Amino acid sequence: MTSDERRTSAPEAPYEIPAHPSADDPRVVLDRELGVFEPVPPYPPRTEREAEFYTLRDGEMLLNMGPQHPSTHGVLRVVLKIRGEQVVDLDPVLGYLHRGVEKLCENADYHQTIAYLDPLEYVSSLFCEWPAVMAFEKLLDVRVPRRAEYIRVLTGELLRVASHALFMGWMALDLGGLTPILWSFIERDEIVEMLASITGQRMLFNYYRIGGVNGDLNHEFMSRLGDWMSRATAQHEANTKLLNENEIFVRRMRGLGVMDRETALRMCWTGPNLRATGVPFDLRRTHPYSVYPELEFDIPTRSEGDCLARYLIRLDEVKQSLRIIDQCLHEMPDGPIMAKLPRLLRPRPGRAFAAVEGPRGEYGIYAISDGTDQPFRLRIHDPSFIHLQSVGLLMPGNLIADTMAVMASLDPIMGGVDK
Amino acid sequence: MDHQLRERLAARLGDRLLGPVRQRHDETEIRIGPGDVPDVLRTLHDEPEFRFRILADLAGVDTGTVMQVVYHLWSDATPDWLRVIVDGLPREDPRCPSVTFLWKGAEWMEREAYDMFGIVFEGNRDLRRIYMPPDYTSFPLRKDFYLPDDAARSPAVGIRHLERTHAPQEAPGGVVRRAKVV
Amino acid sequence: MALTPERGSAGGATGGSSGGATGLRDGASGSGALVPSGGPGAVAEPLVVPNTLWRAADPAAYRGGPGGLEHAHLAEVERSGIAHRDDARWGALEVIPTKADLVLDLLRANSLWPLLSGLACCAIEMMSSATSKNDIDRWGMFPFRASPRQADVLIVAGTLTTKMAGPLLRLWEQMPEPKWCVAMGDCTCSGGRYKRSYSTIQGIDRIMPVDVYVPGCPPRPEGLIYGMMKLQQLILERRGRWTERRVGPSVPAGI
Repeated sequence: MTSDERRTSAPEAPYEIPAHPSADDPRVVLDRELGVFEPVPPYPPRTEREAEFYTLRDGEMLLNMGPQHPSTHGVLRVVLKIRGEQVVDLDPVLGYLHRGVEKLCENADYHQTIAYLDPLEYVSSLFCEWPAVMAFEKLLDVRVPRRAEYIRVLTGELLRVASHALFMGWMALDLGGLTPILWSFIERDEIVEMLASITGQRMLFNYYRIGGVNGDLNHEFMSRLGDWMSRATAQHEANTKLLNENEIFVRRMRGLGVMDRETALRMCWTGPNLRATGVPFDLRRTHPYSVYPELEFDIPTRSEGDCLARYLIRLDEVKQSLRIIDQCLHEMPDGPIMAKLPRLLRPRPGRAFAAVEGPRGEYGIYAISDGTDQPFRLRIHDPSFIHLQSVGLLMPGNLIADTMAVMASLDPIMGGVDK
Repeated sequence: MDHQLRERLAARLGDRLLGPVRQRHDETEIRIGPGDVPDVLRTLHDEPEFRFRILADLAGVDTGTVMQVVYHLWSDATPDWLRVIVDGLPREDPRCPSVTFLWKGAEWMEREAYDMFGIVFEGNRDLRRIYMPPDYTSFPLRKDFYLPDDAARSPAVGIRHLERTHAPQEAPGGVVRRAKVV
Repeated sequence: MALTPERGSAGGATGGSSGGATGLRDGASGSGALVPSGGPGAVAEPLVVPNTLWRAADPAAYRGGPGGLEHAHLAEVERSGIAHRDDARWGALEVIPTKADLVLDLLRANSLWPLLSGLACCAIEMMSSATSKNDIDRWGMFPFRASPRQADVLIVAGTLTTKMAGPLLRLWEQMPEPKWCVAMGDCTCSGGRYKRSYSTIQGIDRIMPVDVYVPGCPPRPEGLIYGMMKLQQLILERRGRWTERRVGPSVPAGI
């Protein structure tokens, strides 16, 4: 790569790297020129926790699991403090995907914010739009037609199944298994093609609107859905059997990363991770929204709190989601799919908070309106962000290879973590 | 809308609230000053009549005149969300006591509020930047941090609205967008 | 920077723990803390433990060749200029025109190994194009290498932020030539929906040379496959910017 293909304006190095004993060592030259890397460990430590973490005792070393690593959660940098193969402490460094969504939403109309919120948790993007439209509907005092609510629940639960299928694939991939990820993607591709026939997009759907949804169900969707539903239960059984009877998988995950109830509540966990520790907290039942009060489904809860429990609980949730999809199809009412709203929305000044139960936990949106057509503040609460804090609690004493297992079992998506 | 919750809050915390308890849809809202944060939140967390054990969200807000920190809590004793607004943090030097003694999971949420607004949480053991690089000097979500959108003021940049019926915004440097809601 | 044996924690006794990598560094104090005494930005001196344990049988071993370590092999390769010509002629064949160049291009085009550099949402569609329904293994692109040293093509899938730009540039530089770059998704082509953001790079062509742009948000797997086939055409026809880039490892001058 020739020098004219580099950036012409390299930022100044934020720190002065003193010359290495051999002054023309190219590593030092590159670092000084690029100047975009913070030294590990940071000198001097800025907080108590940093001083505690970056002080190495006898036998310890720091290992950087950099922003590019084969685990497929995205760009996360984890600084591991290890003693031999055992991890003593862990410091996740975020921000490699911070796109400034909250600031961009302050400059956009209410309708345009929905498109910004999609790529947060890109795997389950309908659940990122849902609390936003609920919060805006609270600000505007809009009632959503029942058919639109049923369509929202139907598409949401379909996406939950797809997201949990991907979780299973990544869980196995991080432990070294290459087949389940292929099975997951087959499952996900089918569901996502279904959703593409009504929303037009395979991934960042931009489907929910303030007051309803964008497009009604059509023949192609119903025929694909019918096909898929006839095979779904059997396929789910096959996926479950693939891994649950694998001794290596089960023995690696059992007893790993155990979290108890009290600590989970103190760490603000929600979603399947919290239910795996024994707290039956599911927003669909504890704080019902949409048409969930009319639907029959159970909340699977386990009490072991280890990686295996977090894995099994998501498989149980897929079964419950299939039940919900079935009921939605049978009870789908007729009617409009959008409430009547003016083109330019100016809600009354006020605040609204709405939260939904997504496949990773509680997705919340806190919207402040000041009477103009742009939201004054849109605060996004993301469950992956919260869960990633606790990796440092769950890791000590385990091996480096278990880091990936623990992180995969918490199911983080870096788009949501970094916003 | 849980009216009993409003009465219990007014009875227990009445002297610390900066205003009446407001309710709308399924949310109840109280406002306190920054000095009352540890006591009020410990009351809400520990007392058996409240039992707000779950912290759903911790947000920073810049209203243009003051900064605020907003907590959203959930309890199994009431069907409402409780919103606690810590009001009156000055924009030049916003400081707020940390709630990490109750919820350790608030540590990163406070780090984010610090990174985006500059609000210093006293008692947080790990208050460093979380999203922006550590040598970044601005606080992006403050209202005086202008995106190229706002700063350019040229008709060719920015998001074009369908209809602009209100007066065009003024040049940057002078006006900080102030909220009509306080 | 020899370590005096009286510290007792490094040196020959703990040869198993890789010499001085115990993490105990000292500025002026022996407290064991990692914070050096030079003020902000100071870097502690590395612990260099001299080899007093054994001696190699062959005095020329571990010295890097006849001239010692001053003449590394890589410098000789660079100076000979063999890496600057991208053709398939070696030795006596140099004067004979050959169709080996075409074979070389076919080899490269039909086994492009991408680097695992999925950043955001487009990474999911990239993975989806690698799995059973849209299988890019048909074109030889299945092995997504984790190490940049083994990869041919960098498919940047997802938004590039200013914090990630440094590591991504480092990855690009570590990839040996010939290498290609595919900008997948709107965020990498031009900034996409984050064009007005304060923390994203508006298009990766601001920091690295791009060979193929695949627009879409996210592009369908079929779209990525179309982009990769365009890249294969580019390689076979020797078109594009990569022919002007220096062939060979990216070695900074003076090595």
